[in-house]
Amino acid sequence: MQEREQARRDRKRTRALFERFIERRKRYAQSDQTPEPEYEGLREELVVVHLNLVRFLAVRFANRGEPLDDLVQVGTVGLLKAIDRFDLDRGVEFTTYATPTIVGEIKRYFRDKGWAVKVPRRLQELNLAVNRASDKLAISLGRSPTVTELAQHLQAGEDEILEAQELGQAYNLLSLDSEVSGEADKKSQTLADTVGVADAGLELLEDRANLEQAFGVLSGRERVIIYLRFYESVSQTEIAKRLNVSQMHVSRLQAKALEKLRAVLAD
Amino acid sequence: MNAAVEPSDKELVELRIPSRPEWVALARLAAATVANRLHFSIEEIEDVKLAVAEACTAVIQHEGHGEFIDLTCEALSDLLRIRVRDSGRHGLQRSEAPNMNFDEARIAGLGVFLIRTLMDEVSYDVSPQTGTDLLMAKRLGVPGH
Repeated sequence: MQEREQARRDRKRTRALFERFIERRKRYAQSDQTPEPEYEGLREELVVVHLNLVRFLAVRFANRGEPLDDLVQVGTVGLLKAIDRFDLDRGVEFTTYATPTIVGEIKRYFRDKGWAVKVPRRLQELNLAVNRASDKLAISLGRSPTVTELAQHLQAGEDEILEAQELGQAYNLLSLDSEVSGEADKKSQTLADTVGVADAGLELLEDRANLEQAFGVLSGRERVIIYLRFYESVSQTEIAKRLNVSQMHVSRLQAKALEKLRAVLAD
Repeated sequence: MNAAVEPSDKELVELRIPSRPEWVALARLAAATVANRLHFSIEEIEDVKLAVAEACTAVIQHEGHGEFIDLTCEALSDLLRIRVRDSGRHGLQRSEAPNMNFDEARIAGLGVFLIRTLMDEVSYDVSPQTGTDLLMAKRLGVPGH
């Protein structure tokens, strides 16, 4: 049981590091003294000792579309916070104590990046790409392509392809009132809030509050059309396909929706 | 738009997958679908998927694990309850107790820490005889995760 012995030694050493570090931390907290280099050295050593934990956690979030290095970096910020707050009297192992702080920091990073908005968009894009590639491959292969072939063609994982096919459609139909922000203390943001306003067709809509209000007059289907058309730049033909109606019908619904929006905003 | 059908009082989904890493994605997808039925946010759904993947990995990493993983997802109006269970074990004798090396044990343990930060409730049982049996629950719209 050499490994177990090694692990026990490591744990003992970490504890000793924390004892020395916390003793100094408490001392500095009560005075204006600038910390001596030794203090920073101990802090750094504690970071190094726990970098594996940060990596372990960061890797778990690496499939969400941000570079692993960035996640390790923000995770390390979480680790530092945990080191600065940890106390041996807490009766928990540091790993247990630090995990939520590190995960919290990583999740906050995704929130700041507007990840919850990007996910459906990425899946939608992949969903569209899958449809296009599948048509293309069907012609060149003379048969319907396999998921493996699609994944190779699009340089995506097979899981991603299956997920995009399945969930891409579900997310397409997200209501504009869907919440996209998970922050508890902020007024929650809806998809309608994130709709871009720079589009030529929607020049009038400069004020976000107005926009949000204005969307209230639209039916669910009209909202979806306006969202896809002006936010996702999806063609009327594609929207028609997704909603299973004719392109003419989409055109009429879009015109009606824009007219409603203009009327509300002109008030 | 996606609220055409409201979940009834209770919906139950059971899935049995081979105890191998390549099947974990299916467990993730199944749990995500149930979470979506409860109208969890995208971030919450991602948390559920990660928790399920970690739980499956813990089962697979446990030496002497069985042939299958049984996943049970229960949707109860505002609560999602998930059970991930090692299944089809041959029943090791105590003397053959799994010889997990420290690193494996530590990593499986870290997985549980991670699950705890993602879900609202977690309880589990690991034994050489029955393997891993993990219960977790997430409530709709609980902030701070």
